[in-house]
Amino acid sequence: MPREAEPSLNEKQFVTQALQENLRLDGREFDQYRPVELTFGDQHGVADVTLGKTRVLAKASAEVTVPYADRPLDGVFTIATELSPMASPAFEVNRPTETEVLLSRLLEKTVRRSGALDTESLCLVAGQKCWSVRVDVHVLSHDGNLIDASCLAVVAALRHFRKPDTSMEGGVLTVYTPAEREPVPLSWLHSPFCVTWSFFGEEADIALLDATWMEEQVRVGSCTVSLNKHGEICQIAKLGGTPVDAVVLLQCTSVALAKVKEFSELLDKRLAEDLKRRDKGGFMAELRAENDR
Amino acid sequence: MTATSAPEAALGVLPRADGSAKYSHAGYTVTASVNGPIEAQRRDEHAYEAHVDVIVRPAAGVGGTRERHLESILQSSLSQIILVKNFPRSLIQIVLQVEDSPENDYVNTKLVQASLNFAIMPALMQTAVLALLSAGVPMRATATATAVTIAQQDGAKRITVDPTPRDIETARSVHVLAFTSHDELLLAESEGDFTVKEWDDVYETAKAICCRSAPAKEGVAMVLDDEDASGPDMRQFLRSAAGAKVAADLHWK
Repeated sequence: MPREAEPSLNEKQFVTQALQENLRLDGREFDQYRPVELTFGDQHGVADVTLGKTRVLAKASAEVTVPYADRPLDGVFTIATELSPMASPAFEVNRPTETEVLLSRLLEKTVRRSGALDTESLCLVAGQKCWSVRVDVHVLSHDGNLIDASCLAVVAALRHFRKPDTSMEGGVLTVYTPAEREPVPLSWLHSPFCVTWSFFGEEADIALLDATWMEEQVRVGSCTVSLNKHGEICQIAKLGGTPVDAVVLLQCTSVALAKVKEFSELLDKRLAEDLKRRDKGGFMAELRAENDR
Repeated sequence: MTATSAPEAALGVLPRADGSAKYSHAGYTVTASVNGPIEAQRRDEHAYEAHVDVIVRPAAGVGGTRERHLESILQSSLSQIILVKNFPRSLIQIVLQVEDSPENDYVNTKLVQASLNFAIMPALMQTAVLALLSAGVPMRATATATAVTIAQQDGAKRITVDPTPRDIETARSVHVLAFTSHDELLLAESEGDFTVKEWDDVYETAKAICCRSAPAKEGVAMVLDDEDASGPDMRQFLRSAAGAKVAADLHWK
């Protein structure tokens, strides 16, 4: 596969110098995101996130499987990120690049390890049957900041997803098809989001939010903070690059909290809109099969 | 499960690819990107023609043998219509990403091992052709495709165009046919039991949908009757989708 063309020396210098003069190529503020758009598909569990020219599609799905032998009480939850040549011809099928490995690792740490999805609730029969929830992340167009867009898409898809309803009677497990019973949502504990900072300059003293692909190629380091709207930090990843001053990092996390609150509000708003769109005739409340907590 | 009767398409939806298209019809939604002609890898390089690489990616789960099978069918039929001899030693890469496919409400699906349905072929074919048009890849003809099933119902056989998953489950045979814009048969794939007579019927039905030469239609009522009788006019649709994109691109701002 052809390699992605790197920006020329002139382009690199132009971007850095403009940043030194407090200007971004697209005229945004340093801590401003590109317009975020979030839409849901016709099916449950399909979320499409657009961040400027970056576009990510996430699809959640579930099936009944056997739990892992060492974790008989937990369900299975996996996030699959595979970058296809659709994002860029430089990506090859079945050969993960560094970007892909880092992306899947970060999503894993943010969504799975932070316990956003209650995996114990996915258990049906201890040691024998459990739900396996899978989220597929498809990058349709890559123009920088894949991590934030993918994380938002994954969280949105999981919160929008409905799994088939089940019941246990006398040791017999029944899984109802969508025609028999309305599917139920997952047991969701909190919504973590990623905010990625890119650093520029000799001393890494310029910090940008939501870098485009051009800016990502020029940056000297980056740091991803994952937190929820209550300010609980799930992880901070700063993988190499120029060292950054601790005070700058502290400022970054406080700005990140404000951004996460915006994401959270956007997601809640879109979910409510989607529920309203689906609730034709107002029968949804009666059709619901899940119990109130 | 709202299967839209009229196909919908948008061209140039992805900003970074050479050409792209999004197509939805009969519950299937597919996005395609085309990059090409680009540098081919050594193992894919042909001395006298371009290599057409088709990648089908299911919405959920990893692709398996079924996807590879669909890829090989698409690859061989698209190589027929693309002018591959114009670009020796290069690669034309087509990535087809399935976004949505109709679900059968009566069955719980297995998802980790994705198994794409045979009936998704027309949607994949149509999206690929639209994306190739959008990328400006030279072709000797465009193609239109459709899926047809034959079901035995109360002793009489019934032909269904653009089947739902439920139709496919109850059908005796499923056929996918594609025609070029010169009314030539490009692709004929069948599954299940059928006779030669039945296949002829299927051929006629599919040809009526794919190769209808659009006559000057007068009056709305007549148009509506026509649509009901034999499904959407695919060729007209392809033409109008491409025409709309060109008109939008050439519109002087």
